[in-house]
Amino acid sequence: MILRRFISTSILRATISILVLSASVPAQAQKFFSFQKDSVPMFRGFAVSFDLVGAGLMAFTDNGQYEGALRVNLHDEWFPIIEAGLGRANHNDDVTKIHYSTSAPYFRIGIDKNLLKDKHGDNRLYGGLRYAFTSYKVDISCPDFTDPTWKWPTGYGVLDAPCNYHWIEAVVGVDAKIYGPLHLGWSLRYKRRIAHKEEGDFGNTWYVPGFGIFGDTRLGGTFNVIIDI
Amino acid sequence: MMKRLVYLSLAALMVACSSVDCPVDRTVATLYQIRTSDGDELTITDTMTISTVNVDNEDVVLYSGRDSIIYNKGVGISQFNLPISYSHPEDVLLFKFEIANTDSLVRDTVWIKKDDYPHFESVDCNTTFFHTLTNVRYTHNYIDSIVINNPSVTYDSKTVHFYLYPKSDD
Repeated sequence: MILRRFISTSILRATISILVLSASVPAQAQKFFSFQKDSVPMFRGFAVSFDLVGAGLMAFTDNGQYEGALRVNLHDEWFPIIEAGLGRANHNDDVTKIHYSTSAPYFRIGIDKNLLKDKHGDNRLYGGLRYAFTSYKVDISCPDFTDPTWKWPTGYGVLDAPCNYHWIEAVVGVDAKIYGPLHLGWSLRYKRRIAHKEEGDFGNTWYVPGFGIFGDTRLGGTFNVIIDI
Repeated sequence: MMKRLVYLSLAALMVACSSVDCPVDRTVATLYQIRTSDGDELTITDTMTISTVNVDNEDVVLYSGRDSIIYNKGVGISQFNLPISYSHPEDVLLFKFEIANTDSLVRDTVWIKKDDYPHFESVDCNTTFFHTLTNVRYTHNYIDSIVINNPSVTYDSKTVHFYLYPKSDD
């Protein structure tokens, strides 16, 4: 009896909560997705940007990416964005002697929202989402080694294995006006793989163009030079 | 303030974490279970030794004049693990059974055909191979039959790959 009363109370509370939420969410969502009403025009131009972190990794490490982006400015509030890049890895491991190489383009599409109250100021704080995709091939090899039991030389290699990778990113970033059309900004990204395929069932891939090294961390970032056009 | 935040973040973004993420159990081996003809698990009382050998026109040829023991004098066993070659189309194993309470020694040769696949986890993990067992044949001195139960040889060390049925009158 007590259990039945408890269940009834829980169901009642849940129902009231859902009703309250369903009444309030559309209003909040409408406010979130609407544009501020002022005299500033809707279309405010384009901006192109180039990521220095990926280029730095490409220059100083054995994996990295060249990445650029085209952003549309809608009323200084919403920023649809396309990001494209070329990711590359050419790694020789000192311990395992494994050589891993890949080079392929990748693409992201998404949207950012300016979270600052002063939408039309020089600086912006972004929150946004991306969907990303890459199709790439990997080469994995290592020098011949001796089978520990049978003692004959054994070769190991995966050549031009086609793979694809889909992921989403949650983005937080800032953008500060430096001089004229020049801005600098950074973004911090939380990445989640949503689908992947490796032809040939050879296991996992290590570096994925645009995503980075799988398993290392789900966090990533960019430091952007941005020019309004 | 915002500009300072932008500059400071450049250094922070260049710092990356890294970790080695290799599987804990990286053994790729075959698991045999000895069974009665009724399909029950059987513990044999004879002493079993298994060696790797080479073959030439169906004749067993020892490596450099000797065989290589991979399972030595097992007694009272019902299951055992054997290594599998990394990359070779067929493994040949020599089973020797010392019959309990006698001086007799019975030998069987087992040929295991397989497909080998390079397996990759990370550049931090050593190379390994997975396998698909395609066929097994054997002589019939002690062994009645060997049946492939699970053809996929991977890191899974719990699933039995072969059922080995000894002759019931041995």
